[in-house]
Amino acid sequence: MRGNFGQILLVDLHGDRVHVERAALPESVYSDYIGGVGLGAYLLWHYAPKHVHPLAPEAPLIYSFSPLLGSPLTTTAKFALLCKSPLTGRICDGLSSSRFALAARRLGVDAVVIRGALARLSHLHLDEDPARCRVTPCPELAGWSAAAVAELFQRTGVGRHVSAIGPAGEALVRYATVSNDGRHAGRGGAGAVLGAKRVKAITVRGVAVPGAADPAALQLRARELALRSQGVTTDKYRRLGTASNLETFDRLQILPVRNFQGVSLGKAAARRLAPEGLAAAAAHTRESCAGCTIGCDHRYGGTRMEYETQFALGPLCGVEDPARLLAAAAACDELGLDTISAGGTLAFAMECAEKGLVDWPLRFGDELAPWLARIARREGPGDSLAEGTRRLAAAIGQGSAAFACHVKGLELPGYEPRAMQTMALGLCVASRGADHNRSSAYQADLRPGVDRWHADPARAPALVIETEDLAALLDSLILCKFLRGAVPEPWREGAELLTMVTGVAHDADALHRAVARIAELRHRFNLREGWTIAEDRLPDRFYDEPLADGAALERGGLAAQVAAYHAARGRGADGAGPPIHEPGLTGP
Amino acid sequence: MVTVELYGLPRLRAGAERCELPAGPLHALLGALAGALPGLVPDILRDGRLTEHALIAIDGHDLIVEPDTAIADGAVLVLISAQAGG
Repeated sequence: MRGNFGQILLVDLHGDRVHVERAALPESVYSDYIGGVGLGAYLLWHYAPKHVHPLAPEAPLIYSFSPLLGSPLTTTAKFALLCKSPLTGRICDGLSSSRFALAARRLGVDAVVIRGALARLSHLHLDEDPARCRVTPCPELAGWSAAAVAELFQRTGVGRHVSAIGPAGEALVRYATVSNDGRHAGRGGAGAVLGAKRVKAITVRGVAVPGAADPAALQLRARELALRSQGVTTDKYRRLGTASNLETFDRLQILPVRNFQGVSLGKAAARRLAPEGLAAAAAHTRESCAGCTIGCDHRYGGTRMEYETQFALGPLCGVEDPARLLAAAAACDELGLDTISAGGTLAFAMECAEKGLVDWPLRFGDELAPWLARIARREGPGDSLAEGTRRLAAAIGQGSAAFACHVKGLELPGYEPRAMQTMALGLCVASRGADHNRSSAYQADLRPGVDRWHADPARAPALVIETEDLAALLDSLILCKFLRGAVPEPWREGAELLTMVTGVAHDADALHRAVARIAELRHRFNLREGWTIAEDRLPDRFYDEPLADGAALERGGLAAQVAAYHAARGRGADGAGPPIHEPGLTGP
Repeated sequence: MVTVELYGLPRLRAGAERCELPAGPLHALLGALAGALPGLVPDILRDGRLTEHALIAIDGHDLIVEPDTAIADGAVLVLISAQAGG
């Protein structure tokens, strides 16, 4: 089959040594799980021992590639990164972009599974030639940012494309990122998993090319898709970036403010943090991921600003000063911290401090950068903050769990669930926890005719499944979600692209079946690791503290929708369901 | 009069933050808006209707599309991008 190599690289670390070997995958795995997060979920299921501690040596970290990676198609230079999350104890599947993805693909494998742990902080080099794979201890790089390591390696010829962790990963912060080319696999703490293996940085070298079954057709489609990607459906991302959401969400009163105590900053403050305000505070530039024709990466004074970062380190923490927001975002990039979880944890701590539950000198609106540095090095209160909101609430007690805003331990993204109640269901049931990238149910709430304050119990589960499945398709192919408006029939076109690349006939129905299998496998992984339906809930704040207009979630209604969601996925109402006897879903 | 506030892509395309228009049914308002802010045509407004690339909400609350919806004097319409992803 073209487009895939049919094998994966198993990397075992021990002492100061690395052992690598290749393992073949059955061809059916590619039709069953496609690639990206789907293939990664399959490998995590097989290579993660049951109930493994996420930071134990035997816990795998998986770089999973996709059949479209390396093709001329726009936005496909991405990989998925999977592990058992140290933050949630559930499946974690992040995505990251750029040249490291293209370079790693040339190892000639479809995924890299890293297990074991080294004795010292080291650089791991992976090579297409197994004899050239090596470990080089690098204790002198402790505390360096991922970007600084990459710059050093590039300048000294050690490696051009680097996947690395910052200080937060080394300190096992539960929401540390893995970074490459200035991008991050952010959510869930994959950086701590790499840190626990004492791998500071990974470089790759290879010359393998997966090829394509019909390169001429693929080239034509690539040109046509690139043209589509320049149309009005991506104009917002290209010209403004997702940061333009903030002012809009403020006006719609769905912008989380001060740890979800409010829904609006007010017009003037929202404008200060909007793209126009940020551009007035710092020089605006725009960048693109490798091979991307959209270019959504807007920077202000060199610091990338996306809506989720802007919301979490701005309004959620009561920060209204653009300079303070940009400094916090830059600190997260430098330290290797997930911006949503960092902001969410700090916002929770700020509320605890203001309520007198902790005696930390921390208030809404404070400068965040010094606190982020303490978190990344686990200094003083930073050690507790590095554990994330759920564990912090358990340690503080005193009823604080009621306003600890997470699901399954993952801090909430920037959508107010009381005023977006289909999204509320999506947040509850998403396999990696409160998440806007695996369950973009906000799209359902922002449709004409939808009452976003009262989710329709007959329709909400299906709407959530629709958005989850589309996300899983795009994340498995892998195509950027910002391309979705330019791909009006993603199931049909996804099948066409796979057929052009692999030479194996795909159709939309087969992709629907594969995505259903991926959704089920993610759920089965969580179930195996201890999930119960009690985890599919939002904290008490969203039920017991109505917004100013009276909007609140209703416990019984949302619980019924959660049960209906699992039933619609073919499970029992408790989410457990009958065992699946499908090939590929057996335990290790 | 009705106030139309513009956010995101509609504001960028229009080059304006707000517009005052006479009250009336939505279709008449959108027609008048296209005349007042031609940068919205054709990607945001086309043939007197909203395209799939934008949404409009009364006072930032209910999203509306029905052309005959009556927009009362003093109402505020909020015109936003349809893409909400972050």
